[in-house]
Amino acid sequence: MRALALTLALTAAPVAASELSSSITDKLILPAFEELAADSRTLARAAQADCDPQSGALRAAYGEAFDAWIAASHYRFGPTETDSRAFALAFWPDSRSKTPKALAGLIRSEDAGIKDPAKFASYSIASRGFYALEFLLYDPQLSTAGTPEYRCALTRAVSTDIAATSKAISADWQQSYAAELRAPGSRYQTEDEITQELFKTLTTGLQVLDGMRLGRPLGTYQKPRPNRAEARRSGRSLRHVLVSLNALEPLAVALAEGHADLQEKITAGFAKARTKAEALDDPVFAGVSDPAGRFRIESLQQEIKDLHTLMREDLGPALGVAAGFNALDGD
Amino acid sequence: MKSLFLAGTALAGLTFGASAALAAEKSAVLANYANIAEAKYQDSLATAQLLKTAVDALVAHPSAENLHAARAAWIAARVPYQQSEVFRFGNAIVDDWEGKVNAWPLDEGLIDYVDASYGGPSEENTLAALNVIANPSFELSGKAVDAAKITPELLESALHEADGVEANVATGYHAIEFLLWGQDLNGTGHGAGGRPWTDYAEGDACTNGNCGRRGDYLQAATDLLISDLEWMAAQWGAEGDARTALLADEDAGITAMLTGMGSLSYGEQAGERMRLGLMLNDPEEEHDCFSDNTHNSHYYDGLGVQNVYLGEYVRVNGELVSGPSLSDLVAEKDAELDAEMRGKLADTMLALGRIKTAAEAGLSYDQMLAQGNAAGEALVMGGINGLIGQTRSIERVVTTLDLDGVAIEGSDSLDNPSAVFQ
Repeated sequence: MRALALTLALTAAPVAASELSSSITDKLILPAFEELAADSRTLARAAQADCDPQSGALRAAYGEAFDAWIAASHYRFGPTETDSRAFALAFWPDSRSKTPKALAGLIRSEDAGIKDPAKFASYSIASRGFYALEFLLYDPQLSTAGTPEYRCALTRAVSTDIAATSKAISADWQQSYAAELRAPGSRYQTEDEITQELFKTLTTGLQVLDGMRLGRPLGTYQKPRPNRAEARRSGRSLRHVLVSLNALEPLAVALAEGHADLQEKITAGFAKARTKAEALDDPVFAGVSDPAGRFRIESLQQEIKDLHTLMREDLGPALGVAAGFNALDGD
Repeated sequence: MKSLFLAGTALAGLTFGASAALAAEKSAVLANYANIAEAKYQDSLATAQLLKTAVDALVAHPSAENLHAARAAWIAARVPYQQSEVFRFGNAIVDDWEGKVNAWPLDEGLIDYVDASYGGPSEENTLAALNVIANPSFELSGKAVDAAKITPELLESALHEADGVEANVATGYHAIEFLLWGQDLNGTGHGAGGRPWTDYAEGDACTNGNCGRRGDYLQAATDLLISDLEWMAAQWGAEGDARTALLADEDAGITAMLTGMGSLSYGEQAGERMRLGLMLNDPEEEHDCFSDNTHNSHYYDGLGVQNVYLGEYVRVNGELVSGPSLSDLVAEKDAELDAEMRGKLADTMLALGRIKTAAEAGLSYDQMLAQGNAAGEALVMGGINGLIGQTRSIERVVTTLDLDGVAIEGSDSLDNPSAVFQ
């Protein structure tokens, strides 16, 4: 699919844009980041209590916090971009294996800077965030590399850093950015610009699902890439697709407020995608390499592409906004 | 030295005077854009031909002086080419072709010897350390490849993006850059790649082995760059496909112009090329990592975006190509927005200029990426913030120009987002 729709419609949505954005801010965005902050705090405490990579409590807390991030990660503007916080929480894909290299480097040199949270916050994003922590908890090599003491300190440093970053994002939303999104002001000049930001969030989220979460492991028929599945070490690849679908649906429905037909189509489209995802029974998309498994993953991908088309061709015009530019532009 | 413009031809289409008195016509804005594209690819070609002269001299008469001259020719050749990057997104014909000439980042171990710190084949790329220069035959995806003769054909067909991996960059500016500079082993310290000229020397003077094959590779890659640029310059000629496609639908054409500006500014330059490198503190993430020419790469990319909006370009011989512009179109509808857009573009150029200034005074771009270099980080973030800021204004321009219902070709990420955020 090669079309970037910059579709502009002439009709205004029946719901006032400011009402729409206020409601989305209060009901979806603020709670998503509060949840992330709370779950990340629990994660940091769990790491303090027990830093053993095999610890059930730590792994559970990690899963909860990672879920919360995936459910909030499509709101990639404003507070997540300040100080590149989203990058610090989630550096993926890592096509040149920077994360294992960075972690191995720290463990090898027993870098003492990790013990100072302010200092660690200036370290490479490859050694920070949820994907780095996944290596420390689940990778056979890195979860046993170096001394247990240093690995423990590193696990705690990464967890504490995740908590601090998540807290900063949530605080920013509460204290300043929520107001920006409720009504035009300095950041957005018109209500349409606010609506466009939210619309873009939705379409970018679908694009990430299609092209990255599914597209990367799918690769090509001749050359499937199961090793590129997101968070495969912790077996979370398919889970991320579901968490993301569940988080994007209410946003899409909210944006379609006042367009009952469209809302129905949106709900039906998400239901189809979810049903296919739930039926997959392939947590890390290992099936990309065999024809039958691949077909089912491609069929899920098609549902997501269809959802994207629906948003671009129906929802965008209904809202009267263009898709605009996103971080996925470029190559 | 032969004139740069022996190879140049007169620009296709009409030349427009910058007459603000007349209402700007979309067709005239598009024609001027196509003229600028043609001029940039012609200039890229002409400077690549000078690079070839220098490369041939290096291979025929290896010396420190000739290596230095080839490096200088490469840096000069980047000036017009980087300004053309803004045509990539929005023009499918450019985007489909671009990977052959400017693919990045690369696993350079595919091409030649590398330092032990580079590591071997990786999970993502089993060919990361293939070293074609040292291996006249090897296996690729289970098939034997005869690389006894290093030819443009071999690089283009067998090696480039081998095994479907984008980091297998066998052709284009960055492959040539690696062959001229070698790996930059200084990390985030000062200094570029330090390849000795004796890597091209004959007989016993040859260092690191296979000097003849290395020279063959360098010449083959340069020849290929020239033929690729010749092809693209022709596409923007009077009857060329790129120009024809652009002019086929006025609104689609204007949208393509804006798509190129926005996609390069935001996703590509501010995101992948600048912010990611900064956040990774990783010198390998600098765009021209072997030559330490990244400050120029970013600067001329930014200038290309500004060129499109203002409808003007200064050629490598100093001649100004200019005509009706997007700025004229916007000013007619909303003078305030035009002023905002011009201001944002100027702010970005100032910020990118600061990076260039510091780099030319000795603080190379990789040093700016070093962990804990607050001043360097501020310089790079200044460029990033400028680019993000101007993207918002570009979106406003799209809205104001009322480009109704247009779907655009050419943002590679949309069918291949796998490379994003790398």
